Amino acid sequence: MTGRDVYIRSAASALPGPPVDNAALARRLGMDALWEQWVDVFIGTASRHLALDLESGEVTGTLAELAAEAGRSALAAAGTGPQEVDAVVLATATPDRLMPATVNIAADLLGIDGVRTFQLQSGCSGAVQALDLAHQLLVSGSAETVLVLGGDVIARFFDVERDLRTAAPAELVNYVLFGDAAGAAVLSTRPAPGAALLRQVFTRLVGLGREPGAVLEWFGPADRDTERPAATEDYKAIEKHVPEMTEEVLTELLDAAGWAPEDVDVLLPPQLSGRMTGLITERLALPRAEPVTCVDRVGNCGNAIVFLQLERALAGALGPGRRAVGVSIESSKWIKAGFALEGR
Amino acid sequence: MKTVEDYVELLRDELALPVTAEDLGRPLDAVAAWDSVHLLTLCTLLERETGRPLSLADVLEAPSLEAVYRLAVAP
Repeated sequence: MTGRDVYIRSAASALPGPPVDNAALARRLGMDALWEQWVDVFIGTASRHLALDLESGEVTGTLAELAAEAGRSALAAAGTGPQEVDAVVLATATPDRLMPATVNIAADLLGIDGVRTFQLQSGCSGAVQALDLAHQLLVSGSAETVLVLGGDVIARFFDVERDLRTAAPAELVNYVLFGDAAGAAVLSTRPAPGAALLRQVFTRLVGLGREPGAVLEWFGPADRDTERPAATEDYKAIEKHVPEMTEEVLTELLDAAGWAPEDVDVLLPPQLSGRMTGLITERLALPRAEPVTCVDRVGNCGNAIVFLQLERALAGALGPGRRAVGVSIESSKWIKAGFALEGR
Repeated sequence: MKTVEDYVELLRDELALPVTAEDLGRPLDAVAAWDSVHLLTLCTLLERETGRPLSLADVLEAPSLEAVYRLAVAP
């Protein structure tokens, strides 16, 4: 440790196309008013963005393009040029291709070259893993500015011809929970007005001997005709474990930062669905914390959503001297992740 | 679906719920494996079987699988 401080100078996001509301989704998937009401009541997510033409089912954009768009906005907001970036880290569960790595395509689109690049294959806590890695690069003194990217394009998992009336519950929920997006943050050892000091960041695998809570498959010529579904969720395990894991992460963050619950001004809770996030926020019962949440409007955007929350927090709730905690739980192979910020 | 037996068959075969006719009167939270996604799937199946729409508000008031059945087949 060098004792260097690390700052989040800016955060930004990119969302494909207009929001798709539950009525539009119901209409395209052949579902009725009851289905739409059920999504409102039990999922609580009103809309999401999809890199997909709903009518044709064609995928309309790439993660690299979205990540580059978010990265460009974040660099502009930080007043940083691409030539000042010492490293790029991208986290995703859904790279555009297995090779080349999406991080390198995004770097190319941004005019970044001649630096270290890393891509993390990750689920919902990937954004925090990327922040953790960037933090380590900066603390070690081997970089001064790191561009952190995260995002997912789940559009290719959408089968608009699928008869959802015959879909298994573990498959059905994927059609309403998720959205496409990319996000970005510029991390630096140099402070600036409006930046946030990254006080704590940690991620920890806790999946020993545990079944995955969420699975995304990929297929090649040998197994493309497989019967197994491309995306499934053990939503019962998620409902059971994510709230308690969130509490554990919060306790650990507060202990590490030396903060009491009433010291927290801003909370960035896990973004599962509008309803689940609301329940988790209530359960945490932080007496003064203003929650920053967006899953009810953009869906669970996987590796992007922490950046969307950071963008909103930096633009509003997290003013000078204010304290924020963020929690992200990955249910794929179970990872706890969190961070603590102080506004500057 | 014309009878309670058909209904139990639908619950067992299409929802994979391990229920028998004796379970129909139980409170829903006492039915093994029951959750809100099963509720949606069941309503969707019942609408398909009966050709009639169900109101989610009504279904949410139903205390048991038997009450959901009555809503679906009510004249």
